[in-house]
Amino acid sequence: MNADRFTILPGASEPIYQQIGSQLRRLIASGQLPPGEVLPSVRDMAVQHAINPMTVSRAYCQLEGEGLLTRLRGKGMAVAQVARNVLSPEQRLARLQAQLTEVARQARELDLPARLVLQRLKSLLEDSE
Amino acid sequence: MNAVVHAEMSFADPLRCERITKRYADEIVLRDVSLGVTPGSVLGLIGRNGAGKTTLIRTLLGLEQPDHGQAFVFGEPSLGLTDAAKQRIGYVPQQPDAFAWMRIGDMLAFVGRQYPRWDGDFVELSLARWHISPERKLVSLSPGERQHVALIRGLAVNPDLLVLDEPASALDPVMRRDLLREIVARAAESGTTVLFSTHIVSDLERVASRVVFLHDHRIAVDAALDDLSETHARLTIPARSPALWASRVPGEVSRRRQLDGSVTLVIARSRGAEWPEIVAAPGIRLDALNLEDLFIEVAR
Repeated sequence: MNADRFTILPGASEPIYQQIGSQLRRLIASGQLPPGEVLPSVRDMAVQHAINPMTVSRAYCQLEGEGLLTRLRGKGMAVAQVARNVLSPEQRLARLQAQLTEVARQARELDLPARLVLQRLKSLLEDSE
Repeated sequence: MNAVVHAEMSFADPLRCERITKRYADEIVLRDVSLGVTPGSVLGLIGRNGAGKTTLIRTLLGLEQPDHGQAFVFGEPSLGLTDAAKQRIGYVPQQPDAFAWMRIGDMLAFVGRQYPRWDGDFVELSLARWHISPERKLVSLSPGERQHVALIRGLAVNPDLLVLDEPASALDPVMRRDLLREIVARAAESGTTVLFSTHIVSDLERVASRVVFLHDHRIAVDAALDDLSETHARLTIPARSPALWASRVPGEVSRRRQLDGSVTLVIARSRGAEWPEIVAAPGIRLDALNLEDLFIEVAR
């Protein structure tokens, strides 16, 4: 896989390490990055996008911790063989905590009853199934 | 014995200062500034013109004497650096004006003789890549070319510590991206520690691991860049709730009165900590800040 498959936007509200992480999660979930696919090295990612190497490492380590990536001996990182649903539902829900907190906050600002918000969220969830 | 001393030196922070205060005549330039730059980190120093960035850099490197406090490079007092320490530093000043009468090739050869790790091939390649003839005299260069030559000079040293004062101010966007890549490659391959000052926020956001804001001659914010959206936020208190802004809010970094009478604060917390109770008060808004927002909120 080439480093130029990633899009990095400085100035976005999502920090760069999270931008890398969420793009990787999507590419893996959709099967575009099959198990065993080797990721660009930290150095290549950093130089290609002119971003800090520690930022790239942090993104890779986070996905390694989730079981989506495995560390190859001396060859960097690759997509794990069993890369799906290795996290428990609680762990996956924790990934949404920030977004859910934000929705709750804005719902309060708009003075919306919880019932309406939950209804809309429920229909959004069912739509995409 | 020497090996032991050397090992201790290389574990010290490449750059550190403790409680630096600096005045020019009656004017204060730095007020009680303390800073440590850990090995391998890329620290972006940001602040408005006149905030004291250049003075801080020069004081850290021992080119200015502080009125109070002390600075260290690789654990050595900056004001009395040994040649061994100096040879590990690549410094690109904001206005490189030394050797203006010399030909570029001669100047670089002259400087190179003082550095054991000087990379002549890098110099040749870089001059060719940026179309700068070594036959030309430094005085004949455009500001962008002069900045390039200064960068080549600072990087050819193969420094353990690279200090860049507004390195991109005269470069166009393509050259700037080249420079950022070079910085990142050094950090990734050699673990080079980098300190650079800029007011181009997006550059800093890309390559820095840590950001330090100098405002009003002191450090207003010192934060890990990856954690910034988690550790810093903007709090808006509506005009109708003056009691809420009467006293200092825990973690308050700066505050500003808006035209409509509301007050916006920048607040900080450590990673993993909770926001203060005030964020849950009715009518209060808490917004995420990106680096540019933060800069403008703090520096206005």
